[in-house]
Amino acid sequence: MEQTSKVDASVATATTTQTADAAGGAIGRTRVGTALVPYASQRVAYWYFVIALALFGLQLLVGLWLAASYAFTMPQGLENALPYGMTRAIHTNLLVLWLLLGFMGGTYYLVPEEAQREIYSVKLAYLQLIALVGTGVTAIVGFLFGWTQGKPILEIPVPLDFVVVLGALIFLFNVGMTVLRGKKTAILGMLLGGLVFLALLYIFGMPFYRNLTIDWYYWWWVVHLWVEGAWELVTASILAFVLIKVTGVQRKVVEKYLYLETALFLFTGLAGTGHHYYWIGAPDVWLWVGAIFSAMEVLPIIAMVIDAFLTKRHEGYVIKDKVVWTFCMGTAIGHLIGAGVWGFAHTLPQINYYTHGSQITASHGHMAFFGAYALLNFAMFWYAIPRLRGITRYKPSLAIGGFWIMSLAVIGLGLAMAVAGVIQVYVERVLGQGFMTAQLHMQLWFKVVMFFGVVLIAGLAMTAWTMLKGRQEDSTEVEAVEIV
Amino acid sequence: MVNRNAFFIFLAGTLISLAIFLGLTWDTHRQVNALTHADKLSEEVVAGKHVWAGKNCNECHTILGFGVYYAPDLTKVYKRIGAAGIKAAVLQPEVTFKNSIRHMPNLGVTEEQATQLVAYFEWVSNIDNNDWPPQDRQAGQSAAQRRLEGSAGLSAGAAAFKEKCMGCHSIGGAGGSIGPALDKVGTKFDAATITKLIGDPPSVVPGSRMPPQTGVSAADRQAIAEFLAQQK
Ligand code: HEC
Ligand code: HEC
Ligand code: HEM
Ligand code: HEM
Ligand SMILES: [Fe+2]
Repeated sequence: MEQTSKVDASVATATTTQTADAAGGAIGRTRVGTALVPYASQRVAYWYFVIALALFGLQLLVGLWLAASYAFTMPQGLENALPYGMTRAIHTNLLVLWLLLGFMGGTYYLVPEEAQREIYSVKLAYLQLIALVGTGVTAIVGFLFGWTQGKPILEIPVPLDFVVVLGALIFLFNVGMTVLRGKKTAILGMLLGGLVFLALLYIFGMPFYRNLTIDWYYWWWVVHLWVEGAWELVTASILAFVLIKVTGVQRKVVEKYLYLETALFLFTGLAGTGHHYYWIGAPDVWLWVGAIFSAMEVLPIIAMVIDAFLTKRHEGYVIKDKVVWTFCMGTAIGHLIGAGVWGFAHTLPQINYYTHGSQITASHGHMAFFGAYALLNFAMFWYAIPRLRGITRYKPSLAIGGFWIMSLAVIGLGLAMAVAGVIQVYVERVLGQGFMTAQLHMQLWFKVVMFFGVVLIAGLAMTAWTMLKGRQEDSTEVEAVEIV
Repeated sequence: MVNRNAFFIFLAGTLISLAIFLGLTWDTHRQVNALTHADKLSEEVVAGKHVWAGKNCNECHTILGFGVYYAPDLTKVYKRIGAAGIKAAVLQPEVTFKNSIRHMPNLGVTEEQATQLVAYFEWVSNIDNNDWPPQDRQAGQSAAQRRLEGSAGLSAGAAAFKEKCMGCHSIGGAGGSIGPALDKVGTKFDAATITKLIGDPPSVVPGSRMPPQTGVSAADRQAIAEFLAQQK
């Protein structure tokens, strides 16, 4: 294997001065235990990733149950014992938990390489993982008994909220100290900014609000400002890191786009929150502000896709890691379809009046979360996990096959929900027939959702197995991904 | 730093949008009391909101369009099926929705909690939310009502039926599904029987699951009954 020559300038100079340091030598060339990472503390990321994958699997199994509840009539006794809503709370909470664990693992993986020093405290990193996973498990068991705050997506009861906040504070402290004592890069600044913003927003979901309108007003400060604000910063930073690594494109260029894109994300996304304030009893000015700013939310996403493609064309670099590259492109395009196109489709008040709170919303939720955040996490997993396992060469076919199976399954699932949504809007809201009459016509499409759900589970099983158990490929005859 | 300009663009864009956002947040707080009739936000309404949260109603239903899409939106449920309908739904869901394709669990709501929930739904139904949802539209007519009008013509009886009964019953496919469709009810009952049934359903259909519609005036009962008796 040849020595890498495409490490970007700043990192390369830093490593030459650092090779003798306890942390190891040139980027990616030294084994720490079995892992192939420059800094030993990066290994904590592994457990974050493994648990995230397991929780994702669980989320999907619960998802099948949800779709079945729509597709078939559940007997009254079952509905009494395990109300639909509690299983649905498990589905969405697992989603948020595994995505956040993925982001945190990703952060722990990239921060040492960026800051060029070990994580401030590996113990704290594990402590925080235990606190969060423990809270998650407690919350989910609690849901089965109806112990919640009663707010969709933010169901976790207040006492557990405090543990979450504590976990977040430990995380921010740990990452913050590492960055403070190490090298400061634009990627780190943006990442840390996004994480602090994310944590702050969570607080607005915690109180009990007497007025329902105000309640939803601040609920969206968490939900919208997360997915269309803070998380965009976090994922843009992670994507920038991975793109620099797999394409060797100049850091300067990536950083410039990072600033411009996040500028656009926040410029449109903050005031864009208004697209949730059309029908809640807030002033009418939101109809204008929400429509105009949220319609513009598509622009940074388009910019991101163009930027990702240019990375390849412009620099003329050979993409060494085909797998990570596929997932990077996938998340850029998935983001565009799920958030950009599907989001734009129902963001104007004239349309939202009819689609608000229907299966159209659920369709968008699936396509956007998967495209923008699940695939992004997978890009990071596929970058980090082979290195953490000490794999230097592997066959890409199963990994790329997994990408296609999962992505097409989610598109199928999202389209089936969208068809159900169109039926719902037409029958219930245009024709004015009863809610249940519409649901009756939609049942078929939830059977289709179940079908694609099974395909998705198969795709994930294959991906997780390849990622965690796939073998080193030593034969040079075989085309393989080279980890350099 | 080469990327200084890019960084300032980032900062400026963010701050401008943040300023608009926070300014409008202030404006929302200023206007929200009037828009939601906060003067009517009594302790009983708040108690109802606690029941709503404690029983996880929002994990199956939407309200103001947010929450879960498994069960009907309840923003205007008070106007749609009235206090008696709400109580029938929450106190005895296994009876009220016996024949439905989807069941609502019995959540052990007490009579007192049901009353608080009704107060809560009544308050919510008066929030000035630009007349959402479309199926319960007040200004102009909801789609269901327009269809009924197209098929039945606007007699006094049809008008009262639309207002008082259509949340639970349908005619010509338009309307709710808690109660049976009434397209052919004229073949079953005459006007006098229907008048009696409205105020006291079990006196006509023993064991009827329909809550007595005590809020309907005698004149309206009469008009509705005459209208329905023609549905054959
Ligand atoms: C597990 C899901 C579930 C939960 C939890 C639930 N409901 Fe329901 N609810 C339903 C379903 C399903 C229907 C519709 C049944 C039908 O129309 O056939 C329904 C119908 C209703 C209706 C009648 C709506 C209409 O317009 O026809 C009311 C009112 C209602 N529920 C109130 C509540 C309240 C209040 C709570 C909390 C105490 C609650 N529900 C909790 C599933 C649920
Ligand atoms: C809260 C929902 C609800 C409301 C509001 C309601 N009904 Fe009913 N109605 C029902 C249910 C449920 C049944 C079926 C009772 C049963 O068979 O056990 C029913 C049955 C009936 C029947 C008997 C149908 C048959 O074929 O046996 C008539 C007639 C009727 N309703 C008329 C009315 C009229 C007129 C109004 C308006 C003044 C009205 N209902 C309002 C729920 C409602
Ligand atoms: C990656 C980014 C995004 C994610 C993960 C995401 C996810 C979601 C989810 C889960 C909901 C439903 C919330 C609920 O009510 O329970 C939602 C609602 C909505 N989203 Fe997005 N979204 C994203 C980006 C966008 C963008 C860019 C737009 C517009 C251009 C948009 C427009 C909307 C609208 C209009 C709704 C409200 C639907 C309704 O009225 O019911 N979203 N989004
Ligand atoms: C096995 C595959 C899956 C199935 C069958 C499935 C099914 C469902 C169903 C039926 C709902 C409920 C919608 C409602 O209550 O009305 C739901 C909600 C949701 N699911 Fe899934 N799901 C699956 C996978 C996923 C994946 C991969 C993601 C994200 C990456 C996801 C994210 C969500 C979100 C965000 C919601 C809430 C949507 C909203 O509030 O609008 N699900 N899912
Ligand atoms: Fe949004």
